Amino acid sequence: MTIQPPTTLAHLAPGTRGRVARIARDLTGRAERLAALGVTPGAAIRVLQTFPGIVFECDQTEMAVERAVARSILVDVD
Amino acid sequence: MASGAALAGRTPTVHRLRAHPLKIALVGNPNVGKSVFFGRLTGRYATVSNYPGTTVTITRGRALIGAEVCEVIDTPGVNALEGVLSEDERITRQLLADGGAELVVQVADARNLRRALMLTSQLADVGLPMILVLNMVDEAHARGISVDAEGLSEHLGIPVIEAVAPEGRGIAQLRESLPLASRPRAASLAGAGHIDWADSSAARFRTIRAMSLGRIQESLGRAVREPLTGLPILALVLYLTYLFVGVFGAQTLVGMLEHDLFNGYINPAATAAAAYIPSALVRDFLVGEYGLVTMGLTYAIAIVLPVVTTFFMVFGFLEDSGYIPRLAIFSDRLFRSMGLNGKAVLPMVLGLGCDTMATMTTRILATPKERLIAITLLALGVPCSAQLATIMGILGGISVWALLTLFTVVLSQMVLVGFLAARALPGDRSDFILELPPIRLPRFTNLATKTALRVRWYLGEALPLFLAGTALLFMLDRVGALGALTRAARPLVTGALGLPADAAGVFVMGFLRRDYGAAGLFKMAQTGSLTGVQSVVALTVMTLFVPCVANLLMIIRERGLRTGLAILAAVTVIALGTGAALNMALAALHVRF
Repeated sequence: MTIQPPTTLAHLAPGTRGRVARIARDLTGRAERLAALGVTPGAAIRVLQTFPGIVFECDQTEMAVERAVARSILVDVD
Repeated sequence: MASGAALAGRTPTVHRLRAHPLKIALVGNPNVGKSVFFGRLTGRYATVSNYPGTTVTITRGRALIGAEVCEVIDTPGVNALEGVLSEDERITRQLLADGGAELVVQVADARNLRRALMLTSQLADVGLPMILVLNMVDEAHARGISVDAEGLSEHLGIPVIEAVAPEGRGIAQLRESLPLASRPRAASLAGAGHIDWADSSAARFRTIRAMSLGRIQESLGRAVREPLTGLPILALVLYLTYLFVGVFGAQTLVGMLEHDLFNGYINPAATAAAAYIPSALVRDFLVGEYGLVTMGLTYAIAIVLPVVTTFFMVFGFLEDSGYIPRLAIFSDRLFRSMGLNGKAVLPMVLGLGCDTMATMTTRILATPKERLIAITLLALGVPCSAQLATIMGILGGISVWALLTLFTVVLSQMVLVGFLAARALPGDRSDFILELPPIRLPRFTNLATKTALRVRWYLGEALPLFLAGTALLFMLDRVGALGALTRAARPLVTGALGLPADAAGVFVMGFLRRDYGAAGLFKMAQTGSLTGVQSVVALTVMTLFVPCVANLLMIIRERGLRTGLAILAAVTVIALGTGAALNMALAALHVRF
């Protein structure tokens, strides 16, 4: 199996499964908000919907985010 | 349950003499059922719904535990106690930091052990004795998740209780375990970060089997959030709400109460009884044109109450189903143009129930700018249930187009004001990140309790104001001030807005509560003194007014006197300006409804 570089959540199709590789850091505390909801490196992720917003399941939490947030979540696709 | 070995030798926390009742705080992630526990422990009802952010204030109650009276504190849900916090999270942290609680009962969603433990670890740093309650173990089992509560209890060194709160499972164990509460062993003791510690602990004590009994839930959840199915479902929901509230409530029930009960029995009987009163003044005060019974009571009970009640039923159902947060996915883009994000759909939809409560719910929004915009938009455009009542009552009888015109004008005003405010005000909007609660079939008992409480609250809140307003109008009328006011407002009312001069009195009522003013318009429309166009213009102005005195006070409490008065002034100017423009436009286009 070839190891692929992480892709951002914004580019994944519905149904894709993977694990969070890392969250791009910025100054707004986005990574902290996501971490508080369980979106941390290593967490299992499943994309549910990509339009109009991005909906995904992380561990046992279903959540919706805007595209800009999804772009900062990097995922290792299974 | 608690493991004896892990707890041996600890001093019981509850059984010692105290000068004041032991303060127990219910803390946990949003939407895990803290308020259900609060109700079970204290016998007091705190509003329970199925979306994060139902509780935005601290609620206190008393509970008898063992032989001791304790104070139980319900807190707004928190995802974190450290780092970037929203206003409702700060409220909870403040309580814990200020010694407002002596014991913490952490309520957790059993499915979401990992997130719960991240919070446990942060709570451990606060240093209070704790108990961990794993709630909703039934739903967790249905999703193939089981937690080794005994092992976890040993690992943490605190009692861990499995519960299904709405059924009362686990409540007795919780009461019994309170004396065993102690400070948990978590990340700081292990010398690890909160996240890593929670990750490894969750992995050790939770097993997830790849099975799912929640298929129906899952496909329903998908149907309401995918645009192709979700938008038709939204239209259907709105249409059914209209049928139940606008037709059954505003027409059938109002007809029965107003026409049959009040005009048929109560008002004639009251007038007949009043005939025995020697003073004409008192007689008029009770049953005259601005009579307490013939106007105040009739408006509050016959015109507004039926619609408020039917609305609260539908609303409670939607709240408990988990549907409302999913609307945020569709509306995120629109709200972003107004300097908000999709999360704002929660306070906006709640505003349809009561703008005053919704003003408080804006605490779930992250930045001061977002809160200010949301509060202004609520005050400006979102009609509360009582206001909706009168709108539907009047315009429902005219035409669908009249109704659509009003909603289009009000909505575009909101978008315009939001758009301008987003650019004019300093500060930023926050990211749209929203947790979606599971789709559930609402429990009838919760629905019934919630509706009954809200109706009682409406009666307690609105009825006195309706009566006080009627008394005020009566006095203004007697001393001739109403006439003077009507004359002074004539250029505005009859000129710019194109309404009959009497409408000035109605606008005075609208300043107290806009639904009360609208009920006045309802009367005018009924007696044929308003044309279709006049009804639409008058109702549009009334809808854009600040909702009520209570809402204004809440805005002042939340944002300060200056901001409150600024919002009041801006909203009033926008309301009158929009009414004048609408009147001109409708006249120029020769529209008739």
